[in-house]
Amino acid sequence: MKAKTGYLGRVEGEGALEFEIHDGKLKRLKVNIWEPPRFFEGMLVGRRFDEVPDIVSRICGICPVSHMMTSIRAVEKAIGFEPDRGTIVARKLMSYSQIASSHLVHLIMLALPDYYGKGSLMELLPDKEVTLKKFIRLKETFNGITSAFGGGRALHPVSMVVGGFTALPNENRIRELRSNLLSSKDDLMDIFKTVSGLELPDLQTGSEFVSLSAEGEYAVNEGQIVSDMGLRGKEDDYETLFDEKEVPYSNAKKTVVRGRGPLMVGALARIYLQSDRLSENAKKTALEAGLIPDPVKNPFHNILAQAVEILHFAEGCQALLEIAKPETAYLKPEPGEGEGAALTEAPRGLLYHSYLIDRGGIVRKANIVTPTAHNYLGIEENLRRLIENNINEPVERLKLLAGMLIRAYDPCLSCSVH
Amino acid sequence: MRFFSPGDRKPRVGFFKFSCCTGCGFQLAYFQKSLEDTLKSFDFTFFRLASSSGTPEGPFDLALVEGAVTEPYQIIELKKIRANSAVLYAVGSCAITGGIPAIKAGVPEMEVQNKAYRTKLYGLTSLRPSVLGDYVEIDGSVRGCPPGERDLQEAMVSVLFHRKPEFAGYSVCVECKIKGNICVLVAEGLPCMGPVTNAGCGALCPSYHRACYSCFGLMGQANTAALKGKFRKLGLTEDEIERRFSLFDALETKK
Repeated sequence: MKAKTGYLGRVEGEGALEFEIHDGKLKRLKVNIWEPPRFFEGMLVGRRFDEVPDIVSRICGICPVSHMMTSIRAVEKAIGFEPDRGTIVARKLMSYSQIASSHLVHLIMLALPDYYGKGSLMELLPDKEVTLKKFIRLKETFNGITSAFGGGRALHPVSMVVGGFTALPNENRIRELRSNLLSSKDDLMDIFKTVSGLELPDLQTGSEFVSLSAEGEYAVNEGQIVSDMGLRGKEDDYETLFDEKEVPYSNAKKTVVRGRGPLMVGALARIYLQSDRLSENAKKTALEAGLIPDPVKNPFHNILAQAVEILHFAEGCQALLEIAKPETAYLKPEPGEGEGAALTEAPRGLLYHSYLIDRGGIVRKANIVTPTAHNYLGIEENLRRLIENNINEPVERLKLLAGMLIRAYDPCLSCSVH
Repeated sequence: MRFFSPGDRKPRVGFFKFSCCTGCGFQLAYFQKSLEDTLKSFDFTFFRLASSSGTPEGPFDLALVEGAVTEPYQIIELKKIRANSAVLYAVGSCAITGGIPAIKAGVPEMEVQNKAYRTKLYGLTSLRPSVLGDYVEIDGSVRGCPPGERDLQEAMVSVLFHRKPEFAGYSVCVECKIKGNICVLVAEGLPCMGPVTNAGCGALCPSYHRACYSCFGLMGQANTAALKGKFRKLGLTEDEIERRFSLFDALETKK
């Protein structure tokens, strides 16, 4: 029997799942991503170093800040530019607020409807009208931070450039952002309760969990590569540690740790590897959700981890807003020659950019590896496990479960192909 | 363009994406201040990003289409969407001017592909980028990358009120004047694209001390020659000038 999901709904980008079951055995399974390639690595060649963030931002409409951030760090390394402390604080605020709003969209708009047997949040209304109102309020709060620091819009922000920020919000605006965050506490807890109350399917994955790790903080914009199977490395060693494989049936590539099996990146892997660096409240909720101290490696739990991270990043933003200064810190960088690589934690996990820049400041080579490319092999592997564990269920149920698992990874197919 | 006649149902909306970042879809789904009203006033019968139900077949009272055309199958789909929709608006720079995906327009197709993929995948069928208007008649353009709230709202409201939309058709300069911004081009000598760029963003870059980089695309009848002359006087090289115009308007500049 052949089963096809067709164009998957509530997933960023265009892809579908196909599998075949014969005599009670799963024979074939593939996630086909036909999202059209835009060849960013080709387009970037010949562009100037300071155009890069505005171009790569357009890889993704839900994590533009991550692509900008990673490219800015890689380009600054290549041309030998060091950002100042104020810039580093503002950049963290950009990333934290973007991860929180991206998680919110995923949890409420994309993941939640499955657990009520509905096709969309729209179909869940009016039952979930209260949830929708809270979702909108919280989104405004987090997008408000990204937009205040990003130059008036959260999607494809304009003031975050190579060298720093062309402008930063004034003290009144910063105060306003802090008070919005303070009054969002109850909404945040309610969203956590909504997600932690869901009955998540069972599944154990053998995937290697990989994330960044930094001394004394929950790593987002910078860190060392770590995994639960002993992988350790620097961002500059990324290309020797990881391998990108092209797939005949898909426009996306599969990335693996050289010589090893599938991996998982994203919120669940981050909490698994860095739970001791979560904020106090986030730690409490992680405990309540069963993510610590004895975590189960169940990819479905990624949505719990996202709910915990929203609380963590809300507190992180609050603390950073206390020390953020309105003075702009923008030094127009001079073109320089060199090579630079950077890794960051995007909402969906490990994101890599590297650039080779010539004397005139022109990009000669670019390489981008996205979280969904890191998760791709693991998604297929765990779909196989899930279907094999439930092989006697009716095919419609299998398709639903499979869709839920794919969504639990919160894949971004535009990113995966780029 | 056929106007929606209300009767006792809500207008049916289909949202489609071609080659792009899905940012327009997210912008519509966020649409924070208007999200509740939008959900209450429209029936989103096809919107894959937000719903696993619904069919792309239509019929639609309004089709919103984002993304550039870079694949042959998209042309067939686009013609089908057009046939099944009373009103079709192109949404976002990719669909209207080619936007970022059009940067590759000036380079041979295989040269770009080979920089992104090592092996020759049999499935790669990418074409030179083109825009929706090359293949079907469009009833309006909701410009921007991402589209501004004003035009997005206008697009939705026009369908509810059965009237032609009035999208911003003037330059970013007008928005700067309304906001009382000091001109970054004249006063600071920044290479601002505002004079030739379609408005709709609220003059964000100049308000944040940055030169506009034309993410809303060139406006109609833009005097590009005059602005290029101004850039030359500021000391920009021909290469730098070309870059300013080819970031979001490569299809225009590389014709």
